[in-house]
Amino acid sequence: MTETAVQTMAPSLANDVTGRTMRRWGARLGLTWIVLLVLLAVFAPFLANSRPLLLKSHGHWSSPAIENLTPADVIIQAVFWTTIILWKMPVSLRTKILIELAVLVSTTIGALVWVHPSELVIYETYRQDERAGNVEKVINAPIPFSPDDHQRDLEDAQLKPPDSAHWMGTTENSADLASNMIFATRIALSIGFISVSIAVVIGVIVGGLMGYFVGWVDLLGMRLVEIFDAVPTLLLLLCFIAFFPRNLYIMMAIIGLTGWVGYAYFVRGEFLSLRDRDFVQAARAAGIPLRSIIFRHMLLNGLTPVIVSASFGVASAILIESTLSFLGIGLVQESSWGALLEEALGVGGTFYWWIALYPGLAIFLTVFAYNLLGEALRDALDPKLR
Amino acid sequence: MIPTMLGITALVFFSMALSPGGVAGPLLNQVSRLNTVDAKRVREYYEKRYGLDKPAYVQYARWLNLISPIGWRPNPDGSLGGFGFKWPSLGESLGRHRPVSDLIEEFLPVTLLLQAISIPFVYGFGFLAGITSARRRGSAYDNFVGVSQLASWSVPTIWAGVMLIGFLANRDYISLFPSSGLHEAEALNMAFFPHFTPQGWQRGWLLDCIWHLILPVVCLSYGGSAFLTKLMRGSVLENLSSDYVRTARAKGVPENFVLYRHVLRNSLLAMITVAASILPAMLGGSVVVESIFSIPGMGKLGVEAVENRDRELVLAITLIGGLIGLLSTIIRDVLYAMADPRVIYD
Repeated sequence: MTETAVQTMAPSLANDVTGRTMRRWGARLGLTWIVLLVLLAVFAPFLANSRPLLLKSHGHWSSPAIENLTPADVIIQAVFWTTIILWKMPVSLRTKILIELAVLVSTTIGALVWVHPSELVIYETYRQDERAGNVEKVINAPIPFSPDDHQRDLEDAQLKPPDSAHWMGTTENSADLASNMIFATRIALSIGFISVSIAVVIGVIVGGLMGYFVGWVDLLGMRLVEIFDAVPTLLLLLCFIAFFPRNLYIMMAIIGLTGWVGYAYFVRGEFLSLRDRDFVQAARAAGIPLRSIIFRHMLLNGLTPVIVSASFGVASAILIESTLSFLGIGLVQESSWGALLEEALGVGGTFYWWIALYPGLAIFLTVFAYNLLGEALRDALDPKLR
Repeated sequence: MIPTMLGITALVFFSMALSPGGVAGPLLNQVSRLNTVDAKRVREYYEKRYGLDKPAYVQYARWLNLISPIGWRPNPDGSLGGFGFKWPSLGESLGRHRPVSDLIEEFLPVTLLLQAISIPFVYGFGFLAGITSARRRGSAYDNFVGVSQLASWSVPTIWAGVMLIGFLANRDYISLFPSSGLHEAEALNMAFFPHFTPQGWQRGWLLDCIWHLILPVVCLSYGGSAFLTKLMRGSVLENLSSDYVRTARAKGVPENFVLYRHVLRNSLLAMITVAASILPAMLGGSVVVESIFSIPGMGKLGVEAVENRDRELVLAITLIGGLIGLLSTIIRDVLYAMADPRVIYD
């Protein structure tokens, strides 16, 4: 009975909540901004690239932009288009997730084996060829600068305020700010999503075990929670980040590992109240395996506060990443909004307003969008709170 | 409480020891600029003095012995003396070559000053905005407060700090505030209070300090006050719809009396509950604010210590951070018992 009941109940609650959430203007605005960011992140190499999208030179056509896609770009494209195709397909969620995973794994292997962008990157050649008249026809990206294009062929491209060539100005090392901002959406979105997923998984497991077994498991778990709770999170993060190599994946893992405490609290609380309920007793009496009781029966009933706080968690993960990058202990290779913002205050009291305004605004709007979404979700899931 | 503190320091110590390069890695690397013989000698001296050649768990045990009031007295050369009562010590900083307790004594008061000024602002603003918007529930004012609290809660401190310095403390825009530090250089020669001198008006040490603290305090407190506004509003609304308020109104208690005597006291409980999480969060916030405004406080010291992997300093700062966190939990429990007569601790 339980299997079918759960499967028919869960989507209806989800539909109901989605409907009630989307009726709020805040949620709609937030979601619009996030979808926009996803599109920018997915199509970043086609929106901001020093290499022309299409080029006709000496009589034959080529596309330097597509030829030089990185393995990561190829994987992102494959996953994105699979998601779009699967969106309205009449198959169960489980099949969709399995197909996504299969596509992800196969393209990852394929991309790492076959996709080799040229190691030597000289962006100037395209501009020089175009200026010298060596090309018959060229279609450039809307922002014809890559994020790491330092424009060595142009004189005095450093720290230019916004103009028609550089919509958001240029940075200290002569890179185009708009292009950097577009590529930084990838960091912000992936950090938020993956680190919160890690935190939720750890929090659900620890909190679930604590709430289900009580007794000494609960006692030990609470001490662990206290340890992570007592130290200011930023200090703990500083320690971990500074001691390990600076790498996007390690950063995600560390933000996840320090952020699970809240979820563990919520799940523990829910489980403490659920464990004595009749349906759990019945499941236990029927001899259903523990894994199934915890994840099938109890978790689905106690997931509400976790979903809400995960939305706020994404916002705070993005804030944390930008703060760490701002303090100069974040990512070094990828462009990140926080690291860009750090360049705004130059030496000797100079202030470059465009470098302060745009990256800061991007962080603010993204965090705001996730907070609006979380707020709307909470109101939809718990009308009593309003 | 002691097991928790042990856990915190062990967590930080072993993540430091396990990291590539290990404890004091960057500091020992500086030595390698010397010629080989000298470098070897300096390295051996450091390793012997701070026990860096021992396994990580021995180093941790050595540090625990150092901070406990009962234990083996450490000798200057790193060996251990007789067992007994001793003065607990935090050791010596590897990077600054000064006792850690001296450094803490110098940097902690600055951070505490920042906190002591910001927290009343945070709570005061939260109270006022929360109560007024709950009273006019559903009005334009309430909606405005609701949206602006969510917005200001989302403004990253780093952005607020950079924009404030850039526009309000800059020669090219408005040069209203100083952009960094806690004092001007000449403030050391000033009297404490503002006064008139033969050269004209002098703002004095106190006013100079306040002038430097305005922007950092704004940066540190807007997020917390937005959070508390929301919390206060929700709590007041919840109490306003409860049975005892209906009873009080039914027997003709004046509305202001209902709000400020009955509801306010009950709403206080929610504000006290979050005190334990607000204080550590603001300590974390002061790391950012101190870095942006170059204020010599614990946050700035912590960033520097972590970058140098300065073992003693990092452990001491973690210890103090954890102690402040636990202390705020205790303060919360005491305040809770004072505000709510129903709460009794065994």
